This record gives sequence, structure tokens and C-alpha cells, in this order.
Amino acid sequence: MELLQILMLAIATFIFAIDQFSLTEVIYRPIVACPIIGLILGDLQTGLLVGGTYELMMVGNMPVGGAQPPNAVLGGVVAMVFAIKADMGIDAALGTAVIFSVFGQYAVTLTFTVMSGLMAKADQAAIKASKKGIRNVNMLSMLLLGTLFALMSILAYVGGSAAAKPLQEFAANFSWVMGGLDAAGKMMKYVGFAILLKIMLSNDLWGIYLAGFAAAALLGNVDATRGATLVLVAFIGVALAINNFVTAVQIRNNGSNSGGMSDGI
Amino acid sequence: MESNVTNYNNLTPAQTLDKKTVHKMVWMSTMLQASFNYERMQAAGWLWAILPGLEKIHTDKDDLSISMQHNLEFFNCHTYTVTFVMGLVLSLEQQKADINTIRSVRVAAMGPLGGIGDALIWFTLMPITAGITANMTIAGSIFGPILYFIIIFGAQMGLRYWLFNWSYSLGKNAIGAITKYAKEFTHAASMIGVFVVGALKCNYGNTALGMMIPNGTMIDEAGNEVANFINVQGLLDGILPALIPLALTLMCYFLIKKKNWRPTQLIALLLAIGIVGCAFGLWAGDAGQIVDSDNDGIYDSKLPQGYESLVPVPWHD
Repeated sequence: MELLQILMLAIATFIFAIDQFSLTEVIYRPIVACPIIGLILGDLQTGLLVGGTYELMMVGNMPVGGAQPPNAVLGGVVAMVFAIKADMGIDAALGTAVIFSVFGQYAVTLTFTVMSGLMAKADQAAIKASKKGIRNVNMLSMLLLGTLFALMSILAYVGGSAAAKPLQEFAANFSWVMGGLDAAGKMMKYVGFAILLKIMLSNDLWGIYLAGFAAAALLGNVDATRGATLVLVAFIGVALAINNFVTAVQIRNNGSNSGGMSDGI
Repeated sequence: MESNVTNYNNLTPAQTLDKKTVHKMVWMSTMLQASFNYERMQAAGWLWAILPGLEKIHTDKDDLSISMQHNLEFFNCHTYTVTFVMGLVLSLEQQKADINTIRSVRVAAMGPLGGIGDALIWFTLMPITAGITANMTIAGSIFGPILYFIIIFGAQMGLRYWLFNWSYSLGKNAIGAITKYAKEFTHAASMIGVFVVGALKCNYGNTALGMMIPNGTMIDEAGNEVANFINVQGLLDGILPALIPLALTLMCYFLIKKKNWRPTQLIALLLAIGIVGCAFGLWAGDAGQIVDSDNDGIYDSKLPQGYESLVPVPWHD
């Protein structure tokens, strides 16, 4: 019975871990995930109570713009395990689960970093026009993330709240590594930008490039426009491009109208 | 990365995509972030999702390879609104448009749609739905979670279908006007593309220094003597906001363009810069740790500077 519970808990956590970025992007939310864990552990009512409470806590804490909130999936799953198995109150369970949610965040950071390195594999698959290769890269990433999460849910079930303290100490001793991974992770998109620029940036477009940078620097630092920065930037970009297009078309049409308006313009 | 090719071999427009393929791609769009990573974000998931369409369009294997390669470049959008970009890009692929045009349209569309998606879904639909259903759930009703699932999943799938069909027909209708002035259009499109890439870097580039250099003490508003710090990042912002993201991007650009570095080498370099930097407390990083500041058993606050440096340095508390 215990073994069956652990197995089902691990499978559910595996799926939630993937669902937080792909699939439905709904069932990982505490309001759905916690009742499911409750069913597995045999206490649906606690699941509903923890799920509803945690969901309200999480509102306004959404994964926006690539930043990671303290991980909701492991926070919810582990809080459920503590609330039901260790008979903790909901606040205490959520509080003790926080350290696991920190490790959930580490697992996400680690996966996103490792997968950056594996993009070279995806490039090779694209060169060979291999659909299988692309699928495998995606599958591998989901497998990695799901497994890390499932392992931690098992740790929480087996180790109980006693596992929280060593985890906390480990996190404290190596916080510079995780801080460094976080800083390095944020830097990696510059590689992606550089690849785009290598192809797109012809010599006459340097000014446009810096203008885009300036527009975002302005709009992104004003409270009223911050949320819509990229939409407003696109408006300016579209205006520039349409103007350029119309002018270029006019020049070409004038050029082909040999005769007629030969007034030297 | 040998993307110097600008045209497909087979320039005959492909047939309009059938319903079944469209169906498949809209459902595959839920896998957009399957292999999310820091370097190219959703690129591999994006390619995976549009592959059924690309395979139908490019019967020439070399063309399929070219298309797959340029669709593996940096991509980041919102997962629900991405189908709009899919429809546009596929209508262009179908007409065998110039590759630079396709790339520019893709880059120009992903940013704004990402912004709209964030505002619409994360800041509007999700909080409202949670507000309605969370209290039902707390009261012990199983219909709370079920209703939550139906509303959000239903809304997102509807949005995905509608956006795809809308932008796909938009793209197909516009294509006639575009092909007549293809060269001019490509240049104009790459202008928006480059403009948006410049903006993306400033918008998403959030690398900052975390150094706080102690500088004596000062008197605060309440008249107490408190420690005073020089915030180095604040000084840099005075010279140019997002100076470090700009400098690091240009460094990567030159290493790729002039020194022929591969992306994997750059990633290794940035990892080293990030981790070694944090050992000495240079960067603002977040280890995500939550600590128990008053020893009452409740973890209640974040580390003041996000993490503790390995080497004790005066500028990192």
C-alpha cells in the first residue's frame, strides 16, 4: 500500500513538473494538483483545503518573462505530504514545504542550463532534417525535469519533515553556486540574441538596433508603460518599416517610369 | 548555423494546409516549452510544434533542413498566443518567401504577442478564475478545481485555434502584395526584426552587479545612524541602462562572427563568468533561498543579496 502510494505520488509529480511549462499548464496549479495528491494519499478534503489556500497565495505570482517564482509544484505536493502523513496544520505544512520548493526551483534552473548545452544536438537534427532528433531533445528535457521532481517528492514522503533541515543547510552552504547558476542562466539568452544578430544585422541596421534598445530602455523604465513595452516597441518598429517600405517602392516605381517625369528628382 | 542561404530550392508555393495538419499543430503548440532553456528559450519546442506543417510544405529534403535550421533560432512568446505567430510563419513558408523575411516576421511578432499573452492570461484570466473557484475549493467542493480547469483550459484552446486560423488567413491574403515588392519588403521586415531584437535585449536582459560597497555611515530620516553603501549597478545605470546586457551580447556577437565560436563554447564561458563572479559576490543572483530571520521556525525572508559569496568580500554582505 505504501509502495503504491509512493509510486502514484512520484508519477503525479512527474506529470505536474512537465505540466508547469507544457501540456495543459493548468493541472500543475495547486488548486488542481493538491486535490489530486489528496486523492492519492487518501484525504481529498485536506487536498481541497490546501489547494484552495495555496492557489490564493500564488495569485499574482505567475511565471512571466522567464523569471521563476519559488516553485509552486513542489511546494504544493510536499505541503500535502506533510499535512496528511505528518498530520501538520496547513500553515506549518506550507512553511516546512518552502525549502522543497526552493529545491524545485534549483531543478528547474539546472534543467534550463543543461538544455542550453543540448541545443547543439537539436541543430544537428535540423541539419539532417530529422523529426525524431527534435522530438528526442524535447522528450529528454521533460524526462530530466520530471525525474528530478519525482525524486524530491519521494524524498519528502520517505524522509518526512526531518529532511527539511539538511536540505536547508546544503542550500545555505552552496548558495553561491545556485546564485551563480541563476546569474549565468540569465546571461545565456545573450547567446541566442547574438545568433539572431549574426544573421540579421547588416551594416546599415546598427542604428536601428540601438534605437530598439533605446526605445525599450525608455518604455521599460516608466511605470505606466512597463507592462506594454514590447507592444509599444512593435508600434514604433512597424512605423519605421512601413515608411521604409513605401519609400523604397516609390523609388523603384519612379525608376521604372523612364520618360514622363524626367525632372531630375 | 550555416544560415547564409536566403532562398528555398523549390520556390513553387505549397498547397494550403489541410484541417488535420492544422489541428495537429494547434495541439502541439501546448508543447512549446517542452525543452525550455536559457539560451534559445522555446526554440526547440516551437520547431517541434510547427514540424507537421513544415513537412507538408517542404517536400524537398534540403528545403526542410533549411527551414528547420532557421526555426531553431532564439524564440520566446506566450504559450497561449504563440499560434498567431505559427499561422503567420506557416503562411510565409507555404509561399516559399525569402528566409530573411520569415525570420524577421517571426522575431517581430513573438515579442508583442508574448506581452499581450502575459497581460491577458497571467494578469487577468488566471487571478479572476482563481478568485472565483478558490473559495469553493476551500469550502470543500470538488467542483472548484474542475471549474478552474474547464475555464482556463477551454479558454486557452479556443484562443489557440482562433489565433491560428486568423493569422494564417491574414498571411495568405497579404502575400500577393508582398511578392510583388519582395526585395523592399524583406528589407523593411528585417528593420522591424533588428529593432525588436535590440528592444528584447533591454527588456529581457536582466544581468546586474550585486556589489554594495560600504561607505561609512549616514543619518536616516528617523535620525538614526545607519550604514551607507555605494550601489555599483546604480552608478552603471547612470551611464547607460542595461549596459551589461548590451556589452555581453556584443561580446557574444563578436566571438561568434569574428572568432567563429560555437554556441556551446559561449555557454560554457558564461557559466564560468556567472559562477566565478558569484563566488566573489560580483553579480546580483538569486539562490531562491528563504531563511528564518528571527529563528521562530518559520522561513520568512530572502537572503539580503540573494546568496552568500564563497569568498568573504567587503562589497557582499
